[in-house]
Amino acid sequence: MLSFLLNRFGTMLLTMLVISMLVFFIAEVVPIDPARNALGRYATQEKVDELREEMGLDRPVLVRYVAWISNLLRGDFGESIHFRRPVRELVARRLGRSLALAALGFVFMIPLGLALGCIAGITEGKLLDRFISLTSSISVSVPPFAGGIFMIVIFALWLRWLPGASVPDPDASLLEFSKKLILPILTLSLDEIGYLARFTRVSMAEVMESDYIRTAVLKGIPRTKVIWRHALRNALIAPFTAIMLHINWLIGGVVVVEVLFNYPGLGSLLLEAAMRNDIILLEGGTLVLTFVAVSTQVIADIGIYIMNPRIRFE
Amino acid sequence: MSDGSNSLLSETSPTAASHDQGERGRRVRRVSPPGTRLRTTIADLVHSKSATIGVAIVLFWVFIAIAAPIVSPYSPTEMPGARLESFSREHWLGTDHLGRDVMSRLFWGTRVVLLLAPISVLLGILIGAPLGLTSGYVGGVVDMLIMRGSDIILSFPTLLIYILIITSIGPSALVVVVSVAIGNIPTIARIVRSLVLDERTKDYVNAARLRGERRRYILLREILPNVSGPLIADTTIRVGYAIMAIGSLGFLGLGIPPPTPDWGGMINEGRQWIFVMPWVVLAPAAALSSVVIALNLLADGIREIAQQR
Repeated sequence: MLSFLLNRFGTMLLTMLVISMLVFFIAEVVPIDPARNALGRYATQEKVDELREEMGLDRPVLVRYVAWISNLLRGDFGESIHFRRPVRELVARRLGRSLALAALGFVFMIPLGLALGCIAGITEGKLLDRFISLTSSISVSVPPFAGGIFMIVIFALWLRWLPGASVPDPDASLLEFSKKLILPILTLSLDEIGYLARFTRVSMAEVMESDYIRTAVLKGIPRTKVIWRHALRNALIAPFTAIMLHINWLIGGVVVVEVLFNYPGLGSLLLEAAMRNDIILLEGGTLVLTFVAVSTQVIADIGIYIMNPRIRFE
Repeated sequence: MSDGSNSLLSETSPTAASHDQGERGRRVRRVSPPGTRLRTTIADLVHSKSATIGVAIVLFWVFIAIAAPIVSPYSPTEMPGARLESFSREHWLGTDHLGRDVMSRLFWGTRVVLLLAPISVLLGILIGAPLGLTSGYVGGVVDMLIMRGSDIILSFPTLLIYILIITSIGPSALVVVVSVAIGNIPTIARIVRSLVLDERTKDYVNAARLRGERRRYILLREILPNVSGPLIADTTIRVGYAIMAIGSLGFLGLGIPPPTPDWGGMINEGRQWIFVMPWVVLAPAAALSSVVIALNLLADGIREIAQQR
């Protein structure tokens, strides 16, 4: 167990190191002139030179990278070119909001997705299964921004049930605020629920056909008990893995949803940084978000390891 | 074989190949005559309902893409109408915020999407498949390096890679294609690698090796044709993902720069007027969704056929 944990954390460290190199390389080395990029086409040459000195662009690449990394490890993510505030401050605030959105989404979509998938797997071949399968296929194929657009048009424009934008208003009541969150969460979930349902359905259907389930049924155990106590535990392992593999895609989905609904999270911050060529903010924010992704994967990995005795005793 | 005894001795000789010239020139793996395979595939496809619908929709959009100049009533950049008009006889889907005809932009935008997505997937395969082949066949350190590398790229949230690359280099069609290709390479390499691992132990590979064939020959002409089946099914889905990715990038403003009509870009531009004239965004959103749904249905159908065979 311990060796497994050490192995996983070691891999994570190595991954973050390589990713930091990649991010630094793409953001600062590849562009012909990052300072010019940041200031735009119409900035004067003096301003560009000033920024170059500020960013320390005349030093050799390796020196710059080491300086950057040592700053990072000390907690100094630099100062955003556009906002002129420490990156850490900007990112921290937005990160909390994004995590809240994602967490709420998870709480909603995972039980629903798993439940739908299990129902489809148990009633395999029948009308309910085919209906769930079809809707899952379709919901997976609709890109999140398109789905969000449909939601906005249907719920905010035509039905006028929910607001179309999700900017948190500190004065508004909690009910108002939660109404604003429904559409973004629904949009995010639509895709995930379909994905999860399909995966769980296959897993559940396989489990239901396996020998030990057949034995349990033949032994006379009532069907619901068979499902709850025996089938579910094994059927849920594969979807768990699926969720873990899907995290990276989810983060992309969060970015898109945040932008679509004007939700001030880390995703929309990153996009703003991208639009304004704010390289420093983009680097810091990307690293933080990637770190979240990687650590979630590691945690999920450990969870699977614990849940699945077969891996443990390999 | 008359010179059977020689072939073992000449295992490593470069002239070994010439002995087999006649046989190799006519080596045909397929038993049925050429052309039957295509016919049976089409027959199978028609049987599968999902595949038929999928193909129909895809063909519809391909037709639109090719016939865009003929079918569109206006050019995508001219501004004939009043701004943000709703449906009318002159503008079936209304006009956008600059007075451009939405339907024409939609049709012209098909070209962009249907051209760039397959190209990026193709690029991904051109680089990813050889990586997977090498990784799976050679094994050892090379395998470990390639797999580690792709693992690391895979742990990077995909959209973030795109944002980073496009911001550094600047948005253009080429950058979008290359970024999406890069995003797909690790997964393609993985899939090819696992397929190669399955094939590697089979007899025909051993036979080829005993014959003294060079590694590149074994990979390209013996193994690759046998792994191409599942790869093609995966490619169909992958093109769907690429379309979604390109659409998302366009939506975020990181896609093809205006005024080129791009479905994602149309959604991005028209977003602010969604309450005034929703069809500016609804049309491209629906179009995008339909293409991806169609490709997924097609892929489902292909999978059904593969299972039945």
